[in-house]
Amino acid sequence: MAYRVMIVDDSPSMRAFVRRVIDLSGFQMDTCLNAGNGIQGLALLQQQTVDIILTDINMPEMNGEEFLRQLEAHEQYRSIPVVVISTDATENRMHRMLHLGAKGYIAKPFSPEALRGELERVLGVTT
Amino acid sequence: MIDREVAESLAAAASDVLETMFFCSVLGEVPVGAALPEAVAARLPFNGARSGAFGVRLTEGAAQVIAAGFLAEEANEPTREQVAEVVCELANMMCGSVLSRLDRGAHFDLGSPALVEPAALSAPGTVCRAFDIGDGEVAVFLRMDDPA
Repeated sequence: MAYRVMIVDDSPSMRAFVRRVIDLSGFQMDTCLNAGNGIQGLALLQQQTVDIILTDINMPEMNGEEFLRQLEAHEQYRSIPVVVISTDATENRMHRMLHLGAKGYIAKPFSPEALRGELERVLGVTT
Repeated sequence: MIDREVAESLAAAASDVLETMFFCSVLGEVPVGAALPEAVAARLPFNGARSGAFGVRLTEGAAQVIAAGFLAEEANEPTREQVAEVVCELANMMCGSVLSRLDRGAHFDLGSPALVEPAALSAPGTVCRAFDIGDGEVAVFLRMDDPA
């Protein structure tokens, strides 16, 4: 099975990098959608379905924390698993994001193998 | 917190981030020299358990190579805007990596990185280290404010 992935990050370079790392990792990705912040992510979700969301935390207009709150508040989006990608590797931040509804958390820097492992763990993929 | 612990964290974070996310190897440490005019530098503030600022300064060649590696631009040279964005991203990643190494259980809020004049990073009380990546140098700067 190949998955539809949405990457939410205000940096176009970072979005392109994450997409490239997913490709390099061998993760089965069917489609990759891009959003520059939580507002754009929610707008995309009104038009397209995705299997998993990767989101940054620090973004303008709607950051990752508010994006998670909004996803939790909408029943139709609540079941979409979210993995947070952040430069912040502190336990406090990770626990906070998981408490807000994220199903996974990966800190930069990360290897392709680590990213694939987290995506597959969250999606329940068994090899 | 002693400077040696900070310096070791700077070195470990620089090596880890450069090799994992930017596909370039740290060949060794070099003395921190004066900023060259064409150097590219970025800085971001942080607050939380400790406050301060973190910065990176790259020689022109290092900035080009790092941007190309991150963007996978093999045929085309990265634009100035792309180089600037990638250098800011590098500063962001290294700052997060350094702070979590210094205190994994602490809470930090990272500010937004922005380009600065290279000379602006060398404030008094700043711990800095520089690394040779083959195509140039990457220097990292950490200033921790005194606890209130």
